[in-house]
Amino acid sequence: MDVLKVDNLTASYRKNKVLADVSFRVQPGSLTGIVGPNGAGKSTLLKVMLDLHPRLSGTVSFFGSTLKKMKRRVGYVPQRGSVDWDFPTNALDVVMMGFYGKIGWLKWPTRIHREKAMDALSKMGMAEYADRQISQLSGGQQQRVFLARALVQEADLYFMDEPLAGVDAATERSIMTILKELKLMGKTVMVVHHDLQTVEDYFDHVLLLNRTVIGYGKTEEVFTKENVARAYGGALRWMRGETS
Amino acid sequence: MIAFLSINAQWVLFSTMILGMASGMIGTLAYWKRQSLMSDALSHAALPGVVIAFAILGVKNLSLMIGGAVISALLGALLIQWIRSSSRVKEDTAMGMILSVFFGLGIMLLTIVNRTAGGNQSGLDAFIFGQAASMIRTDLYMMLFLAFLVILVVFIGFKEWKLYLFDPEFAKGLGLSTRWMDNLYLGVLVLVIVIGIQAVGVILMSALLIIPAVSARYWTHSFKWMIMLSAFFGGASGMFGTLISTLGKGWPTGPFIVVSSSALFIISLLFGAQKGLLIKAVQFQMQKKELTQSWSANAVLKEGE
Amino acid sequence: MKRTVYRPRRLGIMLLFGFVLLLSACGSNAEEPNAEGSKVRIYVVTTIAQIAEPLSVIGGDRVKVESLMGPGVDPHLYNATQGDIKTLESADLVFYNGLHLEGKMTEIFANISKTKPVLAVGETIPKEKLLQDEEGAIDPHVWFDIDNWKHALEAAVSALKEYSPEDSDYFEENKKKYFAELDLLKKEAIDKMSRIPKEKRVLVTAHDAFGYFGRMFNMKVVGLQGLSTEDEIGISDIESTIELLLEYKIPAIFVESSINPNSIRAVIEGASSRGLDVKQGGELFSDAMGEAGTVEGTYIGMYRHNVETIYHALTGEGE
Repeated sequence: MDVLKVDNLTASYRKNKVLADVSFRVQPGSLTGIVGPNGAGKSTLLKVMLDLHPRLSGTVSFFGSTLKKMKRRVGYVPQRGSVDWDFPTNALDVVMMGFYGKIGWLKWPTRIHREKAMDALSKMGMAEYADRQISQLSGGQQQRVFLARALVQEADLYFMDEPLAGVDAATERSIMTILKELKLMGKTVMVVHHDLQTVEDYFDHVLLLNRTVIGYGKTEEVFTKENVARAYGGALRWMRGETS
Repeated sequence: MIAFLSINAQWVLFSTMILGMASGMIGTLAYWKRQSLMSDALSHAALPGVVIAFAILGVKNLSLMIGGAVISALLGALLIQWIRSSSRVKEDTAMGMILSVFFGLGIMLLTIVNRTAGGNQSGLDAFIFGQAASMIRTDLYMMLFLAFLVILVVFIGFKEWKLYLFDPEFAKGLGLSTRWMDNLYLGVLVLVIVIGIQAVGVILMSALLIIPAVSARYWTHSFKWMIMLSAFFGGASGMFGTLISTLGKGWPTGPFIVVSSSALFIISLLFGAQKGLLIKAVQFQMQKKELTQSWSANAVLKEGE
Repeated sequence: MKRTVYRPRRLGIMLLFGFVLLLSACGSNAEEPNAEGSKVRIYVVTTIAQIAEPLSVIGGDRVKVESLMGPGVDPHLYNATQGDIKTLESADLVFYNGLHLEGKMTEIFANISKTKPVLAVGETIPKEKLLQDEEGAIDPHVWFDIDNWKHALEAAVSALKEYSPEDSDYFEENKKKYFAELDLLKKEAIDKMSRIPKEKRVLVTAHDAFGYFGRMFNMKVVGLQGLSTEDEIGISDIESTIELLLEYKIPAIFVESSINPNSIRAVIEGASSRGLDVKQGGELFSDAMGEAGTVEGTYIGMYRHNVETIYHALTGEGE
């Protein structure tokens, strides 16, 4: 069964049509990188699929059903810049927010939640920063906190918006390790990615996007010079080792 | 000391104290929504509604005038939304526009109504500057109800508020209806504004919604504590303002409350435990000292080699 | 395709503009003087109706009198509009009270007096007859002293005679008749008020408008606010008023037609909590008179209404 099925998705952002007739299907257990030039609609694609942004047409099905019914199985890691890191809270608190969907109104998080949250932080190497004010964390640390929050959601399908943007090398390694673990556990992960150099190392599937789908599929099949040139308009040197 | 106050002063004191607390709490939410100016805009936007309600009905009827205020304020909020979503105008500009236009409209209508019989009797002028000193027992009950409502709303959805204010996108992803939260927040805000302005006026209401929250920011890194401190500062402003105004002959209560809250702000700005200027200066000095000490320690070691 | 998206928005903004302009246009409504009648009438404009109404009686059909401030309007806070200025400019004569009653209009009067006869009738009253408060400010509510007001009206009538000498005798006769009624009113009022027992002769109102009234009838007068309604009421004002009520066991306190009754309500509630049942004695006309066309819309009618209301409330006798 397709974990994610997108058909003819069309959307605009500020009077520009930023997604046109986007269709693709995703199998479970894949780790997909979504790449394309700036303004290609990558972030918007995530938001439209998750009903965070209005769509002009098209359908999206999750695990063969609607988003509303499958909400518990879907996890979302927004862009780091979409949040005000000055907000008065600490790292542990942010991770605990991943449980709020399950806890419901009027109930408080329990000790068990707290332990699970600490586990997630440890996994991301952030255990000692648990009670640190988030404004005092570095970019990479903030991203790791976001990842930890995603982990406690225990979702089956994850969407991540540029999780590796502006982070240090150690954080990048740490995040990719976790993503690969998720894949091994049978989870499906889709990541908006900005660095063409690392696509082949990190992702087994790739979605080339420039308003419409240039190609979707296994990396070795879809991530070709021609496709990339088509997506980026041709004027780009990206292949490793290429000198001309 | 409270016992030495007359019953009227007590009514005013407790009413403004409780109103201050409620305003402080909802003001914190407004602060993190980056909409502190919104409280100001909506306070001013309520005025035309009050005047029109009076003009249409011809009699002073408080609940109807409050109803008019609610409609007018909500209309203002709607227009701000519309301007933001359908043009390139930024949010604070939109709020400024609505504030001035609605308030101007209100003053214009007020001038017209004041020229008719019974215009002044309606107490419409009091909506602008307030008559805090004239509060009576029923005002106190109304404030208690209001505070109860605010505390209820904030308490029940406490973690939801935290999430919604910090990361609305993630919240939506979890299934929290941010539209619901928007409306709830706006509803409570408008209610506080509207009940507040008929007692203390538009200007004082804006002050109570903004200043205590901003002051609380300087003392804590915890959302929970910020809400509580803000409530505390709001209540304290009401209390001190009222107390001071009882000391002199003819001293007006409203302005002294604003002055009190401003004084609390300045103290917070300078001495706030987390972000106060003084603390920062002291911390900086200490860090410098540590650094020079470690340098001289190293120098001693080096010489010893 | 793009055009249609912009149009509704522009339309909306234009509608908003148009609406605002329309409202501002509605604001001005100056009446045309000498619009009817074959006789050219003298057009007199006053600020308060206490000047206008008597003058309309004295002036008879030779003058057309209009007042800028109607019933329920507070002259202390009144801001003149463009329409008002036009009205003033089209008048033949302008009369106002002065003594700072129309606090926000002093500049306007200064300007207008350059082109036409403008008289502050209150300021024609000899200084010794005026009242001052503790800070030395002069009490402008002079119309409540009937003798003082006769003086003021006399000055206005002189101005009228000067403007239109051929109507002099007509004015003089009407004035004599009217002043006779005023004398009768004064006698009646003193009579009635002296029947209030001495201890109960305390008049508590929203602001210090009744100083002259109190002096005429030997009553102690206390206003919650000072001489002008511009100041915001303080807690100490309310408390000291309550103290007074308790001290004299005063049964009634009065609201005024042009002032917000909230502060009076606070005084009544406060006194009630301290054991004294103070009734709201009724509405008095202080800075403004009643509706035009009614008895209370005339100076004499208004004065009588005040006397009756105070008498009934303080003596407790039924209506």
